[in-house]
Amino acid sequence: MLKYSFKRLISSVLTLMIIITIVFVLLRQMPIEGYFDNFDKLDQAQIQAKLSQLGLTDPIPVQLWNFFVDLLHGDLGTSSRYATGAPIADLIAKKAPISIKLGVLSMALSLIMGIPLGAAMARSKGKFWDKIGTVYIVFINAVPAAVYYIFIQMYGTSALTIPMLFDEKNLVTWILPVFSMSLGSTASYAMWLRRYMVDEMNKDYVRLARAKGVSDKKIMMQHVFRNAFVPMIQYIPTSLLYTISGSIYIESLYSIPGMGGLLVDVIGRQDNPMVQAIVIIYSCIGIIGLLLGDLLMGMIDPRISFVKKEGAR
Amino acid sequence: MPGIKDTMSQKLEKSVSAQLEQQLDSAAAINEDELFVLADYDQSAAEKAGYSNYSYWRSTLQVFFKNKLAVCLLVVLVLLVLFTFLQPHLPGQYPANLINTHPQTGKALSHVSPSFSTVLITAPQGAMVNAEPVKDAEGWYAVDNKLSTIKSRQKFTVVEYGENWCKIEYKNMTGYVKNNFQTKLKLPEDPTAVPYESRSNFNLDLYMSDVDYTNNGAALYVEGSKLTMNGDGTASFAQDAELRVLPSTHAFWFGTNNIGQDLWARVWSGTRTSLFIGFTVAFFEALLGILVGVLWGYVRKLDRLLTEVYNVIDNIPNTIILILISYILKPSLQTLIFSMCLTRWLGMARFIRNQIVIIRDRDYNLASRCLGTGTWRIIMKNLLPYLVSVITLRMALAIPGAIGSEVFITYIGLGLPVDIPSLGNLINEGRQLITSAALRYQLIFPAIVLSIVTISFYIIGNAFADAADPKNHV
Repeated sequence: MLKYSFKRLISSVLTLMIIITIVFVLLRQMPIEGYFDNFDKLDQAQIQAKLSQLGLTDPIPVQLWNFFVDLLHGDLGTSSRYATGAPIADLIAKKAPISIKLGVLSMALSLIMGIPLGAAMARSKGKFWDKIGTVYIVFINAVPAAVYYIFIQMYGTSALTIPMLFDEKNLVTWILPVFSMSLGSTASYAMWLRRYMVDEMNKDYVRLARAKGVSDKKIMMQHVFRNAFVPMIQYIPTSLLYTISGSIYIESLYSIPGMGGLLVDVIGRQDNPMVQAIVIIYSCIGIIGLLLGDLLMGMIDPRISFVKKEGAR
Repeated sequence: MPGIKDTMSQKLEKSVSAQLEQQLDSAAAINEDELFVLADYDQSAAEKAGYSNYSYWRSTLQVFFKNKLAVCLLVVLVLLVLFTFLQPHLPGQYPANLINTHPQTGKALSHVSPSFSTVLITAPQGAMVNAEPVKDAEGWYAVDNKLSTIKSRQKFTVVEYGENWCKIEYKNMTGYVKNNFQTKLKLPEDPTAVPYESRSNFNLDLYMSDVDYTNNGAALYVEGSKLTMNGDGTASFAQDAELRVLPSTHAFWFGTNNIGQDLWARVWSGTRTSLFIGFTVAFFEALLGILVGVLWGYVRKLDRLLTEVYNVIDNIPNTIILILISYILKPSLQTLIFSMCLTRWLGMARFIRNQIVIIRDRDYNLASRCLGTGTWRIIMKNLLPYLVSVITLRMALAIPGAIGSEVFITYIGLGLPVDIPSLGNLINEGRQLITSAALRYQLIFPAIVLSIVTISFYIIGNAFADAADPKNHV
């Protein structure tokens, strides 16, 4: 287990480095306007001076090396247009907590809603609750998130008579953003839990338990649900990934001062260093999510072994 | 009663045994050689035993057509897709990018509410109006029945009192003014005791008759053939005539946007763009995904390399790749399609790779290889037909997925320019107006069309994938 964890960690770090390299090299191809806040007013010499001051005239491998060295010191560079000259790490440190709070709250809410829904769907397979749940899952999966987010904001705020925009101190304004963000994950938890539970219900040990006369409730809670929940564990950290696109929508819709809204802002202003930093941070979140998912799986389910088996495929 | 039964059964038994004896006797009489005859090979008989009328595609379609919901949605979707192509060729459609302006004032017709007809009111034969030909619309006349405007606090004489209209005399003219809360006529205690002098604190419109043939004061439009001109700028209706808010019989069914473009045309044009994006992405996803997936699964030497590449790319959230590519390249249709293809083929490739690894070394493939079947033929004939269900499912889901990604990319400001209407564009434009309840139709119409398209593709895709799985054919 330890050896596996170590290997997995190393490969995650390597992947991260490759991703940073790709992002870095790709963003060097952008027009240089994105590094200046007053490009039109400068003459050629000033532009060159600024570029060499930023280290952009160096060959790309040197730039990349410098970037990695800075990164290890916690320095993500400085913003060029969004907040000229401000260190990006500080800007993000200000914005990140609210995004994390929203993400964690919505993840909790989606677990609270998704797991009972999935279990209810599996128990009433082919009947009322299953059909209702299926309609919900199809709707969430098929319709682009932007559409129902906007409609929730539009009608939700007027139905609950709460302000349309987010205010950190006013707790009522947290309801709709958190609720909207949790809808997607709720659907996927419900879908997977239903599938695993139905699979599990058809297994022999469940039939045996039923034949022995164990009550339906006990079978569901102690046998089916427990076993079906194990593969679900893997998805929980991964669902952080899905809250990313959700947070981008939600934060700019409700004008929440978080990372997602920040990304939309800096894209609009073509602030290259900021885009680069935020993209790298989101990639990190994704990788950490996958890594945690794999490690949790290994810890929880003793049947999964990480010893490599050689054999004919 | 038992007696009868016994006799009946005894009779039957006797007759049966008699028959048996007869048969045995006749059999004994046959020669040994005649008893066993070699059967000749009969081709039609041989085919009869081995023939099965099972056909994969027919069974697939049969199973699919049993799913009523999916068939209904398929019909809806086919009609919708046909209509998006038909719509620009229908008579009386406004082009999607045309900025409609008012022919008289020249102002853009922005935020016109959705309506199915341009008719505001119908005027009876003989009614009098002022008429003036419209410059940019041949055969159309701008009409109104305003006689004059009475300035505020000017005195006039009421000669006839009504609930809604008062007939008045003012500077040698006899006409009608509205009697409502807006005009606020200063009336005596008993207003029906005519005539008396009166006035208002507001400017009053004096009409020729006790009907308002204007559009909140602006002119209405009518075809010239329905008018009889009097020569002094006035005209009377030669027949009953419909008075319209625009010099055109074509209404803005979905209203117009803020710069006066017809939303009806834009929604269908946008659906066309979005479907084009969806189909193109689905096609490239299938093409790239199958190609790479087959190589990955079938060629052992490539397995390690491609798995590593997959692990790296899969670790980056798709959204981020989408944003990054759209950010680096200039926003255009090609960029959008390219960035979506870049994120989507990977999933397809992995699906196919996993399936191929599972079935690659099954006995029938081993046998096929031993018999000297070429790799290409094995892939095309032995492996891919197994994957039809997976491939169709992923292709069908690629379409709503691509439309959704398009909405997302447009939302964060990296989407198509506004002169290429797409559902993403329209929704994004509509989103900016949600604070005003009267303008929400600009969001609701594109959202409804988009939801119909994506939900239909999703359900049809799932139903077809189920139907394409031979396990469901029995």
